[in-house]
Amino acid sequence: MRMKSHTSHRAVALTAVVALGAVLLAGCADDSDTPGSRSSGGTNGKGKITVTIGVFGVFGYKQAGLYDEYERLNPGVTIKETSIERLDQYYPQLLTHLGTGSGMQDIQALEVGNISEIVNRHSDQFVDLGKAQGVDKNSFVPWKWAQATTASGRTVGLGTDIGPIAICYRKDLFKKAGLPTDPEKVGKLWTGDWQKYVNAGKAYMANAPQGTTFVDAAGGVYNAVISGSVERYYDKDGKLIYKDSPAVKEAWNLAMDVIEGKMTAKLKQFDQTWDQAYANGRFATVSCPPWMLGYIKEKAGTKAEDQWGIASAPKPANWGGSFLSVPEAVKNKDEAIKLATWLTAPEQQAKLFQKQGSFPSSQAAYELPEVASAKHDFFDDAPIGEIFTDAAKDIPTLVIGEKDQIIQNTITDVGILQVEQQGKTPDQGWAAAVKDIDNALDQ
Amino acid sequence: MTGKATAAQQRVTPRRVGNAQRLDGQLSGGRITYAVLILFTTGSLFPLVWTAIAASRTNTRLAETPPPFWFGGRIFANLETAWSDGNMGLALLNTTTVAATISVGTVLFSTIAGFAFAKLRFRLKNVLLMLTIATMMVPPQLAVVPLFMLVAQLEWTNQLQAVILPTLVSAFGVFFMRQYLTEALPTELIEAARVDGVSSLRMLWHVVFPAARPAMAVLAMLTFVQAWNDFFWPIIALTQDNPTVQVALTGLGRGYIPDQSVIMAGALLGTLPLLLAFTLFGKQIVGGIMRGAVKG
Amino acid sequence: MAVPPAKQGGAAHRERLKAERKAERRNRRYRRGLRWSPYAFIAPFFLCFTAFGLFPLLYTGWTSLHHVSLNDPTAMEWDGLHNYTRLLEDEFFWNALRNTFTIGVISTVPQLLMALGVAQLLNYRLRGSTFFRVVMLTPYATSVAAATLVFVLLFGRDYGMVNWALGQVGIDSIDWQNGKWSSQIAVSSIVIWRWTGYNALIYLAAMQAVPNDLYESAALDGASRWQQFIHVTIPSLRPTIQFTVVVSTIGATQLFGEPLLFGGAGGQKGGASHQFQTLGLYMYEQGWINFHLGRAAAIAWTMFLILLVIFPLYLAVIWALRKNPGEKAT
Repeated sequence: MRMKSHTSHRAVALTAVVALGAVLLAGCADDSDTPGSRSSGGTNGKGKITVTIGVFGVFGYKQAGLYDEYERLNPGVTIKETSIERLDQYYPQLLTHLGTGSGMQDIQALEVGNISEIVNRHSDQFVDLGKAQGVDKNSFVPWKWAQATTASGRTVGLGTDIGPIAICYRKDLFKKAGLPTDPEKVGKLWTGDWQKYVNAGKAYMANAPQGTTFVDAAGGVYNAVISGSVERYYDKDGKLIYKDSPAVKEAWNLAMDVIEGKMTAKLKQFDQTWDQAYANGRFATVSCPPWMLGYIKEKAGTKAEDQWGIASAPKPANWGGSFLSVPEAVKNKDEAIKLATWLTAPEQQAKLFQKQGSFPSSQAAYELPEVASAKHDFFDDAPIGEIFTDAAKDIPTLVIGEKDQIIQNTITDVGILQVEQQGKTPDQGWAAAVKDIDNALDQ
Repeated sequence: MTGKATAAQQRVTPRRVGNAQRLDGQLSGGRITYAVLILFTTGSLFPLVWTAIAASRTNTRLAETPPPFWFGGRIFANLETAWSDGNMGLALLNTTTVAATISVGTVLFSTIAGFAFAKLRFRLKNVLLMLTIATMMVPPQLAVVPLFMLVAQLEWTNQLQAVILPTLVSAFGVFFMRQYLTEALPTELIEAARVDGVSSLRMLWHVVFPAARPAMAVLAMLTFVQAWNDFFWPIIALTQDNPTVQVALTGLGRGYIPDQSVIMAGALLGTLPLLLAFTLFGKQIVGGIMRGAVKG
Repeated sequence: MAVPPAKQGGAAHRERLKAERKAERRNRRYRRGLRWSPYAFIAPFFLCFTAFGLFPLLYTGWTSLHHVSLNDPTAMEWDGLHNYTRLLEDEFFWNALRNTFTIGVISTVPQLLMALGVAQLLNYRLRGSTFFRVVMLTPYATSVAAATLVFVLLFGRDYGMVNWALGQVGIDSIDWQNGKWSSQIAVSSIVIWRWTGYNALIYLAAMQAVPNDLYESAALDGASRWQQFIHVTIPSLRPTIQFTVVVSTIGATQLFGEPLLFGGAGGQKGGASHQFQTLGLYMYEQGWINFHLGRAAAIAWTMFLILLVIFPLYLAVIWALRKNPGEKAT
């Protein structure tokens, strides 16, 4: 380029570049005067501390007043909760943040379906809470503690709630179908064997009130059955065994029996249509952990008040539950550990059950009156504390593998639904699920 | 890609502005026109109206059949819950800042660059244009991973510029403006300005911007809505300490018991300001879309 | 300038030469200005664009050649073209490709035609035109959560309003989500609902720029409204129509939100038989649910390559249309 005397055009062009460039750099430059706290928590200079906690859905700590109580007990501490409703948004976000070591909250909640992956792959990125001051391993139910503990003995998460399963049933529908309505007697119908539950379903369908079915979804039955096993998709050494695991076979066959006996309303749990079926009283039974009770109350509405009863499930099983963890990369580690310890202590877990219906993973909490003498007014004052403490007693230690969640969801959302809603044969449904799972797990 | 010379010549003739007698310039709509538009409007508005109905009911009522078709009495209770749960005040402020900045930036950069692509000759022009369009083809769901690495490197996590800058320059906008100006800005006008020795900046101001005004108004609207409703990226880049409306809304659930009526109330809170802005400024925005905006 | 008469001829010639040289110099300077200013115009855009537009594109391409897990996005294992060759044998991928194509066609074509029609109506002189134009954008502005609920209520199997309406005219209930075509039609209807007004507004802006005199002369020639629309409006809108076709094609290729929300819980599968799983959903499932980032990136780049194949075809079609007579009715 020959540089000659410049012209007005070029001057203008250059000015334009410079001017716009300046605007742009001003935009592109990190000059925002928002107080950008990189790790979201921190001190603000006056000795005040903000501890942040990231959860999915609603853990209910805020609603149960536990944050306020903690702030009262610890002047100078403020708690900020960030909640993302959907787990499938929350967990990838957490992984993205872990991968870059930025953007984490001081405390991060973990769902039981993801805990194994965290334990296996990310345990070094989380604080070992087992050694934290004030944490008592023995206050938790043993299997819950074990799920968040690595082979080398690091515990990366403290248990919050668990989901021991009972069976919620419609007394009015049972009565019309000629089945007992007393919880005790209803529980006896199927004690010890899920096959008996399916048999009860056959009896129900023989005289079913018009337009109703025995269960909401075959996938729900599958889930309740499989959740009471020890080894389902992986064995104790972490080997994948789902294709010929006896537990899977049993649960699958029961689900197929339910479909074949036309006992299901062919719904997908947690969809809008499922809610509508609750409101319209379309099905007579559903497997219900404690956290489901509020859902049923909300969706079934006042006209179903005292129509629902709670009976014991054929076999003890657990559905759902979470953990609190503290990432190593956060600034407020000590404060975060303190808060996580306090939130998962027996007294707080008991309060949370009282206010929110999250059943404690702390066995020490079962003795406390908030749990032991709890009743539920919507369910005809059923002694839910007693029922679920019983249900939690013999829950086996389930082996959870890394991709448990994906395998489970694929079997229910692909395999079972194809048979239940699309009229495929059980063999076709199973083959489709297997193909899908293999594709997802293929490295 | 310019039009035929005959057409171009016609277009250089000074345009008559609104008040001139038109033979058949802007046709008036007939009854059928109104009927079709009202039908279309109803279909467009229905989900929004139903959002408001759902927000005014209880969660339980929403599960019942038939669904409610008229307003209930819980609107304020639900709005209040959504407001206090969602950190909404800050969220609205943030979103307004973000959406306004993005809109202004996008419209400005897109118009200037779009003009260059439409009307100027330079080396690599087509290559650069293709490159621009190519980036539109990256699914946003995947771009978030590299983007977040970048943002983490720059230490922008949870700061608004992390949301503003990546969307500030939109390939969509540049392409849109290029296509619009190709037809709407007569090349002869540019040539004439050149011959008169008008400087580039003045040309932008007096020739390009007036010609682009309708498209600028539309682009501003589309960009504003897009920025307002974007959540896939903000949810990764921000937290609820410093949220946009959409990020705040993601936290409105009730865990195991999703409270649809509160979620709907939140959705309403998130959408209403947008519509309010359009209704208030609609005249100005849409007014910007007027015939014969070019002052030759 | 007084010129000595004796040297008139030669001097005049010299003068003329001088003037020419001057003019040429000015011209050259001017051209140089011309040569540089375009870069000044696009520079601001391209500065930020490189960082936030180009970088993700190239990085995604780089990722697609590696084995990467979302568990550790920074640890990349070279994998060559394996992600791509694997896709060729992946029936879920082919299924998603087919679905993307069919949903793309049944949603994009009606959507753009309707948008063109609505824009034409809005271009008339109307009472309340501002109201109509603002309402146009409400589907695009309505929150996805709200739209989901509404469409689930409409297309519900047991209590949906669509099935109720069909029942009124004696047609059996349709299980919208489980049928291949019914689910794709339902998804397409969400797409059409969301994007028609958006495209109508874009067309409207372009219609505003069509000079009146073209219509006037067409009217003088006795062209009806319809003829004016075909011979004046459409040709003037050509670049804008090209734009909407390109953008809608890109949008259709990446279709994600609508099928996801139609699917409800676990919506990324696009139904029990993946009957409405689009490429966008499959990519999301592979990347964000199964954590295979490399594979997801390969799907993204495949979409990209598909578009690179489609657009030249478009260009060929446009070229063929361009040759058609009937450019102008003037």
